[in-house]
Amino acid sequence: MSDPLVSIRNLGLRYGTFRALEDVSADFSRGTCIVICGPSGSGKSSLLRCINRLEEFQDGDVVFDGASLRACRDLPRLRSEIGMVFQHFELYPHLSVLDNVTLAPRIAKGKPRQEAEETARRLLDRVGIGDQAGKFPGELSGGQQQRAAIARALALEPKLMLFDEPTSALDPEMIAEVLRVMRDLARNGMTMLVVTHEMAFAREVADEIVFMDKGRIVERAETARFFSAPTAPRAREFLDRILHRL
Amino acid sequence: MGFDWAVIHDNLPFLMRGLWNSVQLAAITVVLSFPLGCIVALGRISRRRWLRYPATMLVHALRSNPLILIVFWFFFLVPILTGRPVGDFASVLAAFVVFFSAYFAEIVRSGIQSVRRGQLEAALSTGLTYAQAMRFIVLPQALRSMTPSLATECVIVFQGTTIAYVVGMREFLHTTFLVTERTMRPVELYLFAALVYFVVCLAGSIFARRLEGKAGIPR
Ligand SMILES: Nc1ncnc2c1ncn2[C@@H]1O[C@H](COP(=O)(O)OP(=O)(O)OP(=O)(O)O)[C@@H](O)[C@H]1O
Ligand SMILES: [Mg+2]
Repeated sequence: MSDPLVSIRNLGLRYGTFRALEDVSADFSRGTCIVICGPSGSGKSSLLRCINRLEEFQDGDVVFDGASLRACRDLPRLRSEIGMVFQHFELYPHLSVLDNVTLAPRIAKGKPRQEAEETARRLLDRVGIGDQAGKFPGELSGGQQQRAAIARALALEPKLMLFDEPTSALDPEMIAEVLRVMRDLARNGMTMLVVTHEMAFAREVADEIVFMDKGRIVERAETARFFSAPTAPRAREFLDRILHRL
Repeated sequence: MGFDWAVIHDNLPFLMRGLWNSVQLAAITVVLSFPLGCIVALGRISRRRWLRYPATMLVHALRSNPLILIVFWFFFLVPILTGRPVGDFASVLAAFVVFFSAYFAEIVRSGIQSVRRGQLEAALSTGLTYAQAMRFIVLPQALRSMTPSLATECVIVFQGTTIAYVVGMREFLHTTFLVTERTMRPVELYLFAALVYFVVCLAGSIFARRLEGKAGIPR
């Protein structure tokens, strides 16, 4: 645990006067899969977005792979090492699936088209949609779109993957195929921070669970312990609600 | 009173020269003020105040003035500033480019703002710079949603060329007017003028429709 990939230190984020994150500190080791959960508005998305500086935080710092984000002068480079997957996929509708995946490697990293396309096809195969490469995002199902978005993020060979509720916009029958891809990623040693309400996935795949409430981390525990005996009352309440909902 | 269409036939070369001037003025105005408008629009939506404030002020200042005033301004000011006469076409063109870039800027701005913010964030998150994200992701999508307003604006530019008349430029309406004075045949000539404006604008909108079809994106 001496060399965490991500080290969040007394992080504070405000929107105007509203405190979205307050004094958040946490280290995440390489090769672990962390699930972040908590009620709506607790700051889960904000936390992820601070880690690739889509959000400019005011207090504290995030150290990624040994380098301070606050001091970072080359954001594009930093961001190309951190893949992000969004709730609403955010595939580029005017580009083919293949071009969605190859765009950043070609433009941001200057890879030759052919090399980028080879990598892209391999990744699309890996997420199970190799046959959809020539289509436009609008012609894919939601589950296929989200898998394409995962391939797009992987194309930069990131050291860290951030998932912000990757399955919340999907119909139930498509959730499984996306979770399967994520599970494979975790098994292959990718460092992952996943905001999700899929507790079955969390229980099976996550190494640790982080529970947030009102802009703070109120509980962090190994997965088994979190589910058997969450200590924070808020976390217990939340778990009760989410596990007995269906 | 009978119509005498020969008056148009007889003066056609002169009239067509006027029309050519109008078309040139409109076309060059669009070609120059659209990219300028894109730049101003990027300034308008910038987070940096030193870009946003001047861009916003420029747009408001230009849009609150009638085109005719801007044309006068350039006609009298540009020679003073440059110290030499620039010719009526050049000064009118400069006025048009500046004036219409403000309108194009507003069209481009609303086009950009019609693209979901997540698109920009997705592009940034993959390591693209802001400029690259705009160039490859946001602007292509914005362009598609603004094609109809762009076409309308081009028609307005073409109709606006009639204002060049006030500084003596021989645009189409001006030449029509001159012929009318000489021949005393206003009905035929102004009907003809109306027809020409109609045809040019129709051609413009058909062209725009074709472009829109090409930019069409399956969703
Ligand atoms: N751009 C913004 N401007 C102002 N307030 C914001 C902004 N983004 C988020 N917030 C507020 O910050 C708080 C935390 O938001 P965040 O999106 O991080 O929550 P979340 O835990 O991801 O919630 P959800 O489960 O609904 O996605 C919320 O109260 C939200 O209203
Ligand atoms: Mg969220």
